[in-house]
Amino acid sequence: MERGEGAARGAGVPRVDLYGFERPEDFDYASYEDFLSRYLVVLTRRAIKWSKLLKGNNRVQKSIKVKRYIRKGIPNEHRALIWMIVSGAQANMEQNPGYYNKLLEGEKNDMLVETIKTDMNRTFPDNVQFRKTAEPCLQQTLYNVLVAYGHHNKTVGYCQGMNFIAGYLILITKNEEESFWLLDALIGRILPDYYSPAMMGLKTDQEVLGELVKMKVPAVAELMDRHGVMWTLVVSRWFICLFIDILPVETVLRIWDCLFYEGSKIIFRVALTLIKQHQAFILEATSFPDICDKFKQITRGPFVTECHTFMQKIFTEPGSLSMATINKLRETCRAKLLAQG
Amino acid sequence: MSRKKTPRSKGGGRASPSSALPPGQGNGGARGAGRRLSPELPPNGAALPGRPSLSNSGEFYDVAFKVMLVGDSGVGKTCLLVRFKDGAFLAGSFISTVGIDFRNKVLTVDGVKVKLQIWDTAGQERFRSVTHAYYRDAHALLLLYDVTNRASFDNIQAWLTEIHEYAQQDVVLMLLGNKVDSTQERVVKREDGEKLAKEYGVPFMETSAKSGLNVELAFTAIAKELKHRSMKLPNEPKFKLHDYVKKEVRGSGCCRS
Repeated sequence: MERGEGAARGAGVPRVDLYGFERPEDFDYASYEDFLSRYLVVLTRRAIKWSKLLKGNNRVQKSIKVKRYIRKGIPNEHRALIWMIVSGAQANMEQNPGYYNKLLEGEKNDMLVETIKTDMNRTFPDNVQFRKTAEPCLQQTLYNVLVAYGHHNKTVGYCQGMNFIAGYLILITKNEEESFWLLDALIGRILPDYYSPAMMGLKTDQEVLGELVKMKVPAVAELMDRHGVMWTLVVSRWFICLFIDILPVETVLRIWDCLFYEGSKIIFRVALTLIKQHQAFILEATSFPDICDKFKQITRGPFVTECHTFMQKIFTEPGSLSMATINKLRETCRAKLLAQG
Repeated sequence: MSRKKTPRSKGGGRASPSSALPPGQGNGGARGAGRRLSPELPPNGAALPGRPSLSNSGEFYDVAFKVMLVGDSGVGKTCLLVRFKDGAFLAGSFISTVGIDFRNKVLTVDGVKVKLQIWDTAGQERFRSVTHAYYRDAHALLLLYDVTNRASFDNIQAWLTEIHEYAQQDVVLMLLGNKVDSTQERVVKREDGEKLAKEYGVPFMETSAKSGLNVELAFTAIAKELKHRSMKLPNEPKFKLHDYVKKEVRGSGCCRS
């Protein structure tokens, strides 16, 4: 314990984080340092466990044990590898050698390229690695991944939000082709159709969350209803950006660890935990803008920064949440949306 | 990595319980689920002189209106809003808007405190199916294009069609040609914007979120129009938005006619 604390204090907390993000002006260094001193102990323990598990052969099979390990967090040095394996991205990449490069060399859709270019300077301007002046500048990598993906999955093409997701994948894998295949795993398999032009999957899941809140935190559902706040207003970014820029980086990565292994259900666990944990706080809201504001505030502060405890909470706080329940809700919500036109 | 610099609001917003205007006859209602999106703002703006309400940021106001910023992706909607709200330009420090969000600003118009609840929307086409549900409750729409991006100008007609379909018939509309500080890259002439605006009978001005040109004016003009509509005094002359804009607008360069 003391060792971890000492290390953290000695190192201090730099202005720019491990991934290149500049900390905001109002960043609370003191409480972060306090958290980090405790979290470093966890990280060290997990790192030892993981290296025993991998035993240098860098392969894992999906199993109860691996699932448990992933819930407790993948060490950063193994993150890219484990994401690649458990998502199936690795297998896809190996089965399609040269495919990524062929996409990049192929003919381009000008409209798609223009749309992607519009967002280049608007993706992580607060990350030193994405600055135009950075060497190497990850903007080019991001551009390649998005252009390749848009030509690979023509139904989706490019949807805002994908720039942030691809950006995170690049920061973690530090590898263009792997980022492409992970993006494909997320958009093509793990998530419902959030990003296609009709955004049906997104609209559906927002309603599904509404239904789950009705079941698990009825007072909040009632409040939303009374003030006519549509779920899309407060949670659409949670789904589209998979919590990027909503929750702290480390917390997002821990969520993604589980997302790659367990699937889109994790998003509901996170959302429900945020809402249930802050139920009393949300219920203080007395107006429409008030509610919107509360939903922003519940994504900040120690509860979400303490990622290890937070990740434990998401598996206990919302209670049971079976895939069968979610699928059934998805079906009914989708039907309702289609009926509304 | 958070860029959220919005100050935490304390104090709860209070609804303005009466509307000075008859309820809206918007045609957009057919599509919605029949749920009002922002009940604290009645369809045509609430006016309650003599009993000020407390806005979300703790500021008092007399009337409140909902304004929406729309237009293609990258035309500068968020920057325009931030320039107006905070007087700052987000040079290279802003991110693409995903989904929809709003910010409040209270301004004083002819001695009346007007709260504008300004909604910023994602410009990408596929987000419109998410955002146009909000048009219905908007009292005003600021439609933006980027003078350095021809396509964003060419899309204005499509935006107007969308607005006619989803917004209320009497919505206050204004066309803004943004980014006029980029003189070198300009591809849409001011005359083109003026002509299009005239064709559709909407007020028009060129703006720059970077230099601040006409930004305050765009919002003030909207606020004045809405305020006059909702609480016109018997002997007060009618406020003419077009004339006001023409009189107050400033040119972008040296050779304004």
